[in-house]
Amino acid sequence: MFAFILRRSIQSVVVLFVMSLLVFCMINLVGDPVDMLVNPESLPDEIERVRRDFGLDQPVYIQYWQFLKGALSGDLGKSYVFGRPALALMAERFSATLELAFCALIIAVIIGLPLGIYAGLRPDGFATRIIMGMSVLGISIPTFWLGLMMIILFSVILGWLPVSGRGEIGVFLGVESSIFTMDGLKHLIMPATNLALFKIAMVMRLARAGTSEVMAQDFIRFARAKGLPRKRIIKSHLLPNILIPIVTVIGIEFGTLIAFATVTESIFSWPGLGKLVIDAIINLDRPVVVAYLLFVVALFLALNLIVDIIYAALDPRVRLQGDDT
Amino acid sequence: MSARDTRATAGSPLGALSKWAHAVWSRPSASISGLFVLLIATLAALAPLIAPTNPYDLATVSILDGRLPPGQEMFDGTVALLGTDGAGRDVLSAILWGLRTSLIVAISSATIALTVGLTVGLAAAFYGGRLDAFLMRVVDIQLSFPAILVALVLLALLGKGIDKVIIALAIVQWAVYARTVRAAAMVERRKEYFEAATCLELSNGRIIWKHLLPNSVSSLIVLATLQTAHSITIEATLSFLGVGVPITEPSLGSLISNGFDFILSGAYWITFFPGVMLLATVAAINIFGDQLRTIINPRLSR
Repeated sequence: MFAFILRRSIQSVVVLFVMSLLVFCMINLVGDPVDMLVNPESLPDEIERVRRDFGLDQPVYIQYWQFLKGALSGDLGKSYVFGRPALALMAERFSATLELAFCALIIAVIIGLPLGIYAGLRPDGFATRIIMGMSVLGISIPTFWLGLMMIILFSVILGWLPVSGRGEIGVFLGVESSIFTMDGLKHLIMPATNLALFKIAMVMRLARAGTSEVMAQDFIRFARAKGLPRKRIIKSHLLPNILIPIVTVIGIEFGTLIAFATVTESIFSWPGLGKLVIDAIINLDRPVVVAYLLFVVALFLALNLIVDIIYAALDPRVRLQGDDT
Repeated sequence: MSARDTRATAGSPLGALSKWAHAVWSRPSASISGLFVLLIATLAALAPLIAPTNPYDLATVSILDGRLPPGQEMFDGTVALLGTDGAGRDVLSAILWGLRTSLIVAISSATIALTVGLTVGLAAAFYGGRLDAFLMRVVDIQLSFPAILVALVLLALLGKGIDKVIIALAIVQWAVYARTVRAAAMVERRKEYFEAATCLELSNGRIIWKHLLPNSVSSLIVLATLQTAHSITIEATLSFLGVGVPITEPSLGSLISNGFDFILSGAYWITFFPGVMLLATVAAINIFGDQLRTIINPRLSR
């Protein structure tokens, strides 16, 4: 088991290293960041000075070496646009993204779970057909467009909800979040619902598949034969059994929520990580782009590593399989 | 037993095709969605001929026509059925042209990804061993990242342009095809006809090309359909974010993004209609793909 964890960890570190090399080399092929740093009318020697100050006059491999040295001591370079360390910028924005993703997850479960269970309990019902039809539509609908339609409906036509930003931020038990103020909640509800749409259909399908599988089991038949009310069967026999796989998948999918948040944040000007990186890409703010990419790669590698380790702990075949290759 | 006979286990490809075509025809939801997909493809192909105006001909587009609501008459007398955008372009024409760009990007990237994925998947399944382990590890690592994120990263690195978007989408998709083809080919490998072909000492290339490929390919038809829908959405999202196709050749995503600036002033039609077209396209392809799956592999649907 220890060997398995070690091997997988080394593999993750190698992937991270290769990615950093790839990202760093390739990003040097796109545009000249000095153009973004200085006024286009500056004198040539002024441009040269800026180039030197940011170390952009060095060959790529030396720049990479410098970057690597910095990265190992927790310094991923300074943003060209904000003039501040990229890592600090990301840390500030991360809480907003986390808050958004977390609320989206809760909404996805609140909406997806009951619908999925219903569909699983009555596979041939009329409402089930509508629910499943909606789920096909839910997969097909471009979420960014739906976000715009939500703005048109709720902000422009009805005027109920604000269009952009995070709103007032409240503090509760030392945690800063928009959830704790009315204004913040109003700002949060639309982006969170928009982000949740990616996951509602998924939770629904999982719940439906789980329900139809569990309902066919002997212990459910026994509970019914005992004369337990339907509500009780669902609550204490069905739910615990379908929740385990759903929670696992949601855990894995949390990373994709953070990835998709880039889109939602751009629509609603939510001041999170995704908005930061899209702006950075458009502004050729290299250090921020590189830092974000490495952060996301590390996040996904970590999530996958944890999942792999849990699977290996539960199922010996997984860890033995890799030994002979 | 001749080598030719060994190929016949899954029925001749043409025979299977006509069987599927018949099955599609006899299912209303399959035939309707299929016809709809055909219609959309035709509209996109004929866009330059059927669009009421050429939205990118600067000589005919007039800024005076800007933001006309649907149904208004433009300066030169053409009725803008779906309104005009901020620069005075007819939204309907822009949608037809945008659809064309979207489909070109999706189809060319799917073709590249399919070719690469097929090659990798067949090679992995046929040669096995270290090559297989290595290729599938790469596939696993890539698939552990969400497609939209990989595409975003690639475009951040490659820069803008239709060719760049196609490359990025191809890189995003090849791994899915590779994994599916490998799984299908692994199953075929264990069948008797494959053993027979190996015993006849046919060359590796011939076995892969004439036996493994035709029998593994059916699993890809459904996948390719659904992946195309998926890549249309990804491309639209990227273009919406401003990292996809350039402004000079807008896709449906760029049209929606373009209208984003006007929604607060109430000019909803600039974003609404391109989005409806996008939704209709993706939904039709998805439903068609779903139906195809049921037809090709009836065991999956209960």
